[in-house]
Amino acid sequence: MSEKFVNKFDIILFISTALILIIGFVSIYSATHSTPNGADFYLKQIYFGISGLGIVILISYINPKHMSKISYFLYGLSVVLLILVLLFGKVINGNKSWFYIGGFGIQPSEFAKITTVLAIATFIGGSEEQKDVNKLAVFIKSCIFVVIPVVLIKLQNDTGTTLVFLSFLLPMFFWAGLSPFALFVIISPIILSLLSFAGNIYFYIGLLVILIALFTFKRNVYISIFAFILNFVSGFFVKYAYDKLEPYQQKRILAVFDPASDPLGSGYNVIQSKVAIGSGGIAGKGFLQGTQTQLKFIPEQWTDFIFCMIGEEFGFVGSGLLIILFLILISKMVSNAYISKNRFFSLTCIGFASIFLFHFTINVGMTVGIMPVIGIPLPLVSYGISSLLSFLIMIGIAMATYRYKTVYNM
Amino acid sequence: MELRSKKNILYIITLFIALIIVGRLIQLQVFGQQEYGKESEKNAVKKIIVTPARGLMYNRNGKVIVDNKPSYTLTITPYLFEQNNLETISGLAEVEPEYIIEQISKATGTNRFNPVKIKRDLNFKSISYIEENRDKLQGIDYEIEAIRVYPDNFKASHIFGYTSEITEKQLSEQSGSYYRQGDIIGSTGLEKQYENFLRGEKGVRFITVDVKGKEVGKMNDGNDDVKPLNGYDLFLSIDSELQEYAEKLLSNKKGAIIAIDPQNGEILCMVSKPDFDLSVFAGSVKPEVFNNLVNDKDKPLFNRATQTKYPPGSTWKMMMAMAGLSSGKITPTSTINCPGSYTLGNRTFKDHGSYGNINVVKAIEVSSNVFFYKLSVMIGLENYHYYGKLFGFGTKTGIDIPNETSGLLPSEEYYKKIFGPQGHTAGTLVSLGIGQGELGVSPVQMVCYTAAVCNDGLYSQPHFVRKIKNNITGEEEFIKFNQRRIELPQKYFDLVKRGMYLVVNGPGGTARGIKSDEFILSGKTGTAQNPSGNNHSWFVGFAPYDEPKIAICVLGEFMGWGSQFAAPVAAALMIKYLSGQEEYNESAGNNIAD
Repeated sequence: MSEKFVNKFDIILFISTALILIIGFVSIYSATHSTPNGADFYLKQIYFGISGLGIVILISYINPKHMSKISYFLYGLSVVLLILVLLFGKVINGNKSWFYIGGFGIQPSEFAKITTVLAIATFIGGSEEQKDVNKLAVFIKSCIFVVIPVVLIKLQNDTGTTLVFLSFLLPMFFWAGLSPFALFVIISPIILSLLSFAGNIYFYIGLLVILIALFTFKRNVYISIFAFILNFVSGFFVKYAYDKLEPYQQKRILAVFDPASDPLGSGYNVIQSKVAIGSGGIAGKGFLQGTQTQLKFIPEQWTDFIFCMIGEEFGFVGSGLLIILFLILISKMVSNAYISKNRFFSLTCIGFASIFLFHFTINVGMTVGIMPVIGIPLPLVSYGISSLLSFLIMIGIAMATYRYKTVYNM
Repeated sequence: MELRSKKNILYIITLFIALIIVGRLIQLQVFGQQEYGKESEKNAVKKIIVTPARGLMYNRNGKVIVDNKPSYTLTITPYLFEQNNLETISGLAEVEPEYIIEQISKATGTNRFNPVKIKRDLNFKSISYIEENRDKLQGIDYEIEAIRVYPDNFKASHIFGYTSEITEKQLSEQSGSYYRQGDIIGSTGLEKQYENFLRGEKGVRFITVDVKGKEVGKMNDGNDDVKPLNGYDLFLSIDSELQEYAEKLLSNKKGAIIAIDPQNGEILCMVSKPDFDLSVFAGSVKPEVFNNLVNDKDKPLFNRATQTKYPPGSTWKMMMAMAGLSSGKITPTSTINCPGSYTLGNRTFKDHGSYGNINVVKAIEVSSNVFFYKLSVMIGLENYHYYGKLFGFGTKTGIDIPNETSGLLPSEEYYKKIFGPQGHTAGTLVSLGIGQGELGVSPVQMVCYTAAVCNDGLYSQPHFVRKIKNNITGEEEFIKFNQRRIELPQKYFDLVKRGMYLVVNGPGGTARGIKSDEFILSGKTGTAQNPSGNNHSWFVGFAPYDEPKIAICVLGEFMGWGSQFAAPVAAALMIKYLSGQEEYNESAGNNIAD
């Protein structure tokens, strides 16, 4: 392997992607081989996974100059598709987010993630001068890029994907130079609203900490007072709004944070999934030997709960390996963003890394019972063609970032 | 901040998350392996939904009249089911194989892991067969479920109503997600009206099963289970003996009977004939049985007590009298000349007798037609509609079972719609005056009207349910139903009641044949003209005269004059309710025209 090749081709990202894909193939095979039409699942995933790797290589040759030119067009196109799917889409599992074309389900929201990141990266970093995200106008305009698809996807009743859209904006702002004070003003009310559920005492302690922090920032008095009031009001308002809800609505919200409160619904899957992972032990029960998973105690375990399969059959060793691979993959994307001289690709890479990290955290966290049950797939592992392809496209662009790391913005 | 620091912050966040997850995995897989390993060995936890028993119904004396009994329901878990068992199951459940395939195919997504109910009320032989052949019958099981039994000797099919398996349409339209495929839901009658009270709340049981899916024990000693909450019980105002007797008196006939307590609107009995046997709906109703009921030309599923619209005939005359007196068109002493007929323009309207100059009380007693022809023309359509509405016609009574008709009380607008801009004619009013023509009333409207008249204007919403008992807390809640007062002068009610008294007890009364020595019965006969066959026989009445305890309406389709069939039936039922004696005298029915 020549040095020149290694300098252009992101071999680390490519190999870790391929390894994660293989773990996915094995898991989906194990989860579905004994179900009727199981071959439909794993053969489709393998076919699209392998041809997807080809697409990754092709995409890695796309020059940022060309990419940033078409990114607004792609964004507009995906907004149109989101509208069309609302009007003509097919409802699956309560979400109206699918198109059916020749037997394949396509989810436009999966691709909208990519185009939204590209559009924001173009907006902030695509021109000669980087825009200052600390300016209110720039900040708000960037937010609008996210708001449009979020509203459309929320209308499809797909809460999980909506949250994904909210996960990449803040890291991209951070990367583009949003001041720590602004970050603090955005993040602290969210934390404080969550604290208000834990009890009044926590809420007031949190408020006190925020007050002290605001003093140490030594910013304009009016802005600091505004930030404090924002915190105070959001903490109170969220609790107040919650208390006003009907008991059954409260129950639904509680079940997200505490599955045991809803044993008829999502709580069941978490109980089963913990048993599956825990019983795998250090070395696992072996390929196709997991009793929990082979006996199908977890419904549709080839999609959102695929991590149980790995935990049960390959144990701590297998699941640890997968976590290390994700750690490498996400860090490499951040590293590509760092070394790139191209602001547009650099920001894009951070957006994609955030999406991977968010999916990974929520999905694995949910199966091991430390995160709320939100139905989003484990990247490159869960069964699902739209999501598989969209994650592979992100990898392709991250590899292009590596290849064209020296191409400056014009 | 430098880009390098930002990169490091992101590295640290990623690493931090990975470490938390690894920590959790160590907790679960390294330290928790023994515990979870055991759990998965016994293993596998399965979630069973436990359907609660529906609430019971009691009669007015506190005796159970709608009960539950345990029955076996055959279930198939589509995911585990093997096609080669199809024939066996079809034989066990006595259903077509196509039906089973259809039921299984409805279960999609995660539902494929849950048992689908195939057949209710399975016999014990089939259960034994399943138990003995578990190894072969993958995915086939049974559940114990409560189904309805009706211990008394009456049908009350239109009162209780039936339950049936929830339809796909109902499933997709439900608000919330309580119901699942195969669930039972109230379809008609009280079962439908009070579904949310009767159904209870489902529970869930977590069991551990072996590799073959056979139950081996409870998970966590059942501590995570959620008990089902049984439905609430309904305490009804039905008098079982009266209901049974009423069904007997109307057997092999077509028509309806409804009796209420005029003081509060509690329904004592309600019959619509022909009716049907509710017990055929208790398990799985056979499609051919259901289709026969739906296609029966006599419409047994149709509730004649609340859904028919017939002209009330002469039973309408109390309404006319109240309207005439209250609008000031006649006074208690004014008389109208009643020769044997009434001519208006070139049309002559006949009467069944010639009575000379008579007052309103006499007119009710002998049921003079000419009196009310003339009165109707005097009061006009606007008053006619106003007072009709006051006595609850043209609107629903609010009886607590679904699909009540509001009947037809014509107004000027109505006639403009059907006759054109000139609206009604005087001739129209003549017919309306004696309760014929474009007037449609239901027996339940008639009984409420009668109760309001005998109670000096107190109009009560008719209802079956007196109170609802919460079986979990033991609390009993009395249901509040509407009562309103029809504000018209007391002396007019007295006059009209006097007329009704004379119908039974006067020398010229049209129902004098049912006069009783024991109780003072009062009422009014009526006959709905039927252009396509024998007339429909009406009677409305109340008793005792001085302190009414029961108001009743009897409708006999194709049974002729009111005095001929409806009056003796009503008399027998009123006496039965007041004394417990059954003394139906068919020959008390005299052929007196009304």
